[in-house]
Amino acid sequence: MDAVLEIQGMSKAFGGLQAVRDFDLRVNKGDLIGIIGPNGAGKTTVFNMMTGFIRPDSGEVWFQGENITRLKPYEIVNRGLCRTFQLVDLFKEMTALENVMIPCFSHRVRHNRAHEEKPWKTAMKFLEEVGLAKRFNEYAKNLAFGELRLLDIARAIATQPDILLLDEPFSGLDLEDAGVLSAAIQQMHRKGQTMIIIEHRLRDLLKLVERVVAIVFGEKIAEGNPQEIMSNPKVINAYLGERRE
Amino acid sequence: MEGYENLFGPRRFYRRLLGLGIFSAIVFLAPLVIEDPYYLELLFLCHYYVILACSWDLLSGFTGNINFGHAFFIAGAGYAGALLNLNLGWQYWLTLPVGGIIAALFGLLVGVVTLRLKGPYFASVTFCFGALLYKWFMVSSKSLGGEEGLSGITSLSDSPVGNYYFSAIFMAAVVLGLYFLSKSSFGLILRSIGENETASEGSGINTTYFKVVAFMISAGIAGVAGAMYAHAQMHVGPEMAHDSLSALVLMMAVVGGMGSIIGPIMGAYLLTLVNESLRFMGELRLLIYSGAVVAVILFAPKGLLEILSQGFRRATGERQKAA
Repeated sequence: MDAVLEIQGMSKAFGGLQAVRDFDLRVNKGDLIGIIGPNGAGKTTVFNMMTGFIRPDSGEVWFQGENITRLKPYEIVNRGLCRTFQLVDLFKEMTALENVMIPCFSHRVRHNRAHEEKPWKTAMKFLEEVGLAKRFNEYAKNLAFGELRLLDIARAIATQPDILLLDEPFSGLDLEDAGVLSAAIQQMHRKGQTMIIIEHRLRDLLKLVERVVAIVFGEKIAEGNPQEIMSNPKVINAYLGERRE
Repeated sequence: MEGYENLFGPRRFYRRLLGLGIFSAIVFLAPLVIEDPYYLELLFLCHYYVILACSWDLLSGFTGNINFGHAFFIAGAGYAGALLNLNLGWQYWLTLPVGGIIAALFGLLVGVVTLRLKGPYFASVTFCFGALLYKWFMVSSKSLGGEEGLSGITSLSDSPVGNYYFSAIFMAAVVLGLYFLSKSSFGLILRSIGENETASEGSGINTTYFKVVAFMISAGIAGVAGAMYAHAQMHVGPEMAHDSLSALVLMMAVVGGMGSIIGPIMGAYLLTLVNESLRFMGELRLLIYSGAVVAVILFAPKGLLEILSQGFRRATGERQKAA
């Protein structure tokens, strides 16, 4: 199967710190992939380079047969690759509906949207998808943390991405909100959405994903299904440290 | 979905539209009551500052990039209009639109130069544009009249009433146009840029394009106003490019309420009329005027429009409770 997304040898250093080293990844249509690793492993840096917010020092990102390594973030979004942010990044002084309307004005969505459909109607559909339709008129700053996470996802899926990148979506959520989010992700996957999820909460992540990539100190140390990863000695060492005899 | 009409506060939208309508009616009927040329000139000045403050607000109030060089566009177009009038005999109906186009092109230049700048860096570079133009006007005595500027420009109309109505019509057109623009998708995108440019770009918006377009519209309108002022005064001078004019326009928008188009109208009228009414105090005027502006900013940081809106919401809320 031809890969939808291919990352080849991507590296990035910040001063003397090698944040990411020779990172490779191949993503096929319909994949649901998890990226795990300790704090500071370089996971978000990988996302930032994939989505144009940081320029890699070396390596390339190929998306649907096009080299997108040097493109600007909005150009990458308009090609179908969108992400959420680790620290929820929304328009706090706008309502939930206005937050999701902004991506509806992007070139990609305007091109795909039926001429007669108003942007707010398009935006409402995405709010309904994440269960926030009733809160459409609430300012984002007044939403609960779990609702903000869902709103960020609604904003991202409103760009109608071919691949959706979720950066620690379960972070800070209680059990109930995590369950709602988990159900929303499963629903999107059933509809064919390709996703890559960075997450620390392994219990929530491993229930969802089919393939896991483990990164430590900027390097990929393992890739496989959840069972393989969790029994991988390198992964265990990375999280728990080396066993002392 | 029913209720969408309420989403952006259509009651508030129609309320503000009604307010604008009443305001326009007062403006157009005022000369029937006010005949003194001094007051008509003063109100002309109010209209002029409303146009400048609203045009400034479209860029800086919405995107959050504070432009400290609005005078660059005002004076650039003012002088361009003056030169076209004095050298080629062009009348105001040509010099105003051409001045606006020239100012819009200046806006494109400044927009492109300041693309990657934010915060104090953006403010500093825009300030420099205005300062450079001012200096150039001051030293160009042969071609641009130096400190004395250029005089003998054809007047806008034959009388203060004519100037008043001209500026009133222009002001009404600008205010209504910018108000509807601010409520459109363009306005929403500008607000998103002002709120969180990273998230806006991450939502697929070419933020650079929208900022440059906002710059051009803001500059173009200011330019037309500058050319209008030149014809009304029959004179242009370097003071039109001075940073004090940029600062005054900024204060009017801040005092009235940035990011609303309506707020700068209030700020422009208030500061112009208060400044004039304190003239009898001589040197104390500046102290009182500045103190009043500081007090408003301290106690109403979101501007007077927000205070009025809160008061209205409280008052209508109380009436509903009583009912």
